[in-house]
Amino acid sequence: MSTATSPTVDSRAGKYLTFFLSNEEYGLEILKVSEIIGMQPITRVPRVPEFVRGVINLRGKVIPITDLRVKFDMPIEEGRDEVIIVVQMRGVQTGLVVDRVSEVVAIADHEVEDAPAFGAGIRTEFLLGIGKTGGRVKLLVDIDRVLESTEVAAIELALGSAS
Amino acid sequence: MEPPRVRCVGIGMRRSVPLNNRPQAPILSNDRALDVRLYLLTCCLPVSHLTLDDAATLLLQLEPGDLDDLARLREALTTLVFENRVPITSQPHVARAARLLGTLVEGTAETPSDAFADVSRAIEAAMAAVDALASAATLSPPPAAKAVAATRSAVEPVVTSAAATEPASVAAPEPVSASAPVPVAASVARTHAPVAHDPALDELPGDTDLDLLGDFLTESVDSLTAAEAALLELEADPSHEEAINTVFRAFHTVKGTSAFLGLGRIAAFAHEAESLLSRVRDQEIAYTRACAELSLASSDMLKALLDEVKHAAAGNGRLRVPHGYAVLFEALSSYDPGAEPTGIVGAIAPEVGDRAETSTGASSPASANDSGPAAARSSAASGEATIRVRTDRLDRLIDMVGELVIAQSMISGDSELDQRVQHELTRKISHAGKIVRELQDLSMSMRMVELRPTFQKLARVVRDTAVKAGKEVVFNVTGDDVEIDRQLADLLGDPLVHMVRNAVDHGVEGPDERVRAGKSRTGTVRLQAYHASGNVVVELIDDGRGLHREKIVAKAIEKGLIETDKGMTDSEVFNLIFAPGFSTAEKVTDISGRGVGMDVVRRNLEAIRGRIDITSAPGKGTTFAIRLPLTLAVTDGMLVRVGQERFVVPTTHIHMSFRPEPSMLSTIVGRGEVVLLRGELMPIARLHELFDVPDAVQSPLDGLLMIVGDAERRTALLVDELLGQQQVVAKALGDSLGKVAGLSGGAILGDGRVGLILDVTETVALAQSGGASQVRHAAERARANHAA
Repeated sequence: MSTATSPTVDSRAGKYLTFFLSNEEYGLEILKVSEIIGMQPITRVPRVPEFVRGVINLRGKVIPITDLRVKFDMPIEEGRDEVIIVVQMRGVQTGLVVDRVSEVVAIADHEVEDAPAFGAGIRTEFLLGIGKTGGRVKLLVDIDRVLESTEVAAIELALGSAS
Repeated sequence: MEPPRVRCVGIGMRRSVPLNNRPQAPILSNDRALDVRLYLLTCCLPVSHLTLDDAATLLLQLEPGDLDDLARLREALTTLVFENRVPITSQPHVARAARLLGTLVEGTAETPSDAFADVSRAIEAAMAAVDALASAATLSPPPAAKAVAATRSAVEPVVTSAAATEPASVAAPEPVSASAPVPVAASVARTHAPVAHDPALDELPGDTDLDLLGDFLTESVDSLTAAEAALLELEADPSHEEAINTVFRAFHTVKGTSAFLGLGRIAAFAHEAESLLSRVRDQEIAYTRACAELSLASSDMLKALLDEVKHAAAGNGRLRVPHGYAVLFEALSSYDPGAEPTGIVGAIAPEVGDRAETSTGASSPASANDSGPAAARSSAASGEATIRVRTDRLDRLIDMVGELVIAQSMISGDSELDQRVQHELTRKISHAGKIVRELQDLSMSMRMVELRPTFQKLARVVRDTAVKAGKEVVFNVTGDDVEIDRQLADLLGDPLVHMVRNAVDHGVEGPDERVRAGKSRTGTVRLQAYHASGNVVVELIDDGRGLHREKIVAKAIEKGLIETDKGMTDSEVFNLIFAPGFSTAEKVTDISGRGVGMDVVRRNLEAIRGRIDITSAPGKGTTFAIRLPLTLAVTDGMLVRVGQERFVVPTTHIHMSFRPEPSMLSTIVGRGEVVLLRGELMPIARLHELFDVPDAVQSPLDGLLMIVGDAERRTALLVDELLGQQQVVAKALGDSLGKVAGLSGGAILGDGRVGLILDVTETVALAQSGGASQVRHAAERARANHAA
């Protein structure tokens, strides 16, 4: 699994689709994005981690929906606007709930920095790096890591409930 | 008969070219013709008259860069192989040369000069093989001479009729080159004793195109199945020309393609099998019983060989020799119609498995009594063009059409649409609706296949079993044009084989017993399929001795399955033969009935959501009726509401639903809730607790209890209400979610939203293993431990 993500770490230059969570701007490799759809009724699935909102019908296919705010431990705001970015990784489609989609930017290699370590409590392993372009900071998300598996999430959940 | 034609099938291309005036040339056209590129290239080019010698000469004049000429040379070589104009021993080498040329032409060769040298060597090897054959013939030690004769006789039709073509280059003038990669001796040895030791035969060629190989395997098995049916027809009517041609075509196609793929052993064997058939076709020998046994055994052997290729392709590339190969090969190549028939067959039979049985002891042949209409149908069927489509694409198409239906119904049901005002629009929308529904029917029908291939295999089973058991049985098939989901047709095969075997072996009496009972000597086993209320019914009917109620009851009591048969209907008694362990312990014939592994049959059928019923009258016969859904893709479900959420419960798991009276409910040690229904105590599982659904009905008195599960572990599920029955298409929830406990998947409901399909067995297990939250926490801890 790590082998699949390592090539992207090597060269982080490329086009990114940027989106907002709260007032932070994130970037997602454009090649992994298959489409952007409006929010639609989500069927909740029991017995899955909290960040999995459920499943939707994407033109006849059932795909799971992950809420990135929950995933990143960010506060949930009632009545916020949301859209779903459908990403495709290894042939599998998954939807990501974000606040809004911003733009597609090309980021050169020299504009990307490694994510600094913030110390305990702030998790940065989901980040490919930090892009600085157009005078703004864009957090480049390693989506494979984010969606790696529910196991990681299960551990977090278990640890969370233990403490 | 119209002149033979070669039909070329290729990507986006289809043409028909007459074979230049060769009335006896084998008919290559085959609707299931392989997608092998050589078809495209062979005909109507001057190079098609090249011989091996010409090819060698031409090669000397060429450079690795002369792509056009190399391409033509490749065509010539593939033609040589495919038209059978080089002896079978050299075909693998020629085919290899053609493949290597292919890499050169397509530019995929790693080092063109090496590949080019390899081509030369392959052609030299081919010529060496030809040469060896010729010199073996002149030196004439008996076995080798025989082999040459056999090879010659197969080559002959082409040679004699195509006088313009060289005499098949059996005698190659060039001296044997020492650099030939395959020793000459090995080639000769292979000709007359093919299991002898050419190591090249024991491995898949290194440069095999796996896609091509996969196509080859599928196509070959299909055509062998058709060949088998034709062989049975042939046995009933030995002059059936179309049947001979079908078999001949099948063997020929297998031979040509396997040689092209470098599968020498299969090519050699198919060649022998084909030769035998060609002698029958040319009326040189009669299609006798021995000949039939041999041909059927050959068909089995080819299947076994193909199986080996499949295993080799999936595994380490090593090809094993199936049992009995050498014996059968020898029997084929030395087949003499005057010889004692049972001797040969008897020698082969034990080695090729239980399907080709000896004919000793059989007083007269069983026959597939279906030849007349079947022949007419099969020739009609061969005119239909088919195309292979990947199933995932097909499923996607079906999904999309399902979506279209939903989208259409959303439009037609839109509240903005006022039928009184917008006449025109309403009319157009309903017109579109008709088209969409038709499209849906069509898309659902695309997964459907006829039951014919499944049934055809059974004709063979009936025949073999009857011969083995010394019975006379006529096998009748009706309704084999009934269509069923491909997956189901495949899964139905095994249980049917078992049942048909039982019917012939235990159901139908021997000829003498039948005469004593006042019946005709020949028993009848009938297989019929038809549609009934949304299901497909397959009935297996025999006119044998029938099931004996008393004996079954006695046996069941002895086995402790029942205590008494009081109050049991005949059908309930007969169903006892499906009970595990009912008849495995003792000889089945003791109870004049079936039972060998009938529990397995029933389990297999239940796995494909089928149901089996028995009716039987002593002395009159037995009928097994199997009811199957049309497709596995669609699940019959009950849509239930729990809180604001909806779940689909497969109806096969639901026994009943009811609203309980307060007197029916009680608790055990203050916690476990149970309901008492007609004397049976069942635990209550609250779906809303299991699945954390808010705002659901809390008291069973306000909701509904749904009884699910199997007879031993029934459970009452508490739901809010039933929303109705619906057919749904089950889909996975998405790979990143993995398997969710208690759910088997999702389904798109009528309003376009996703409904979750309950896995009833798991849900019951969840409920029994304690409260929902406990389970979840346990699972999380387990996962955390596992990850740590």
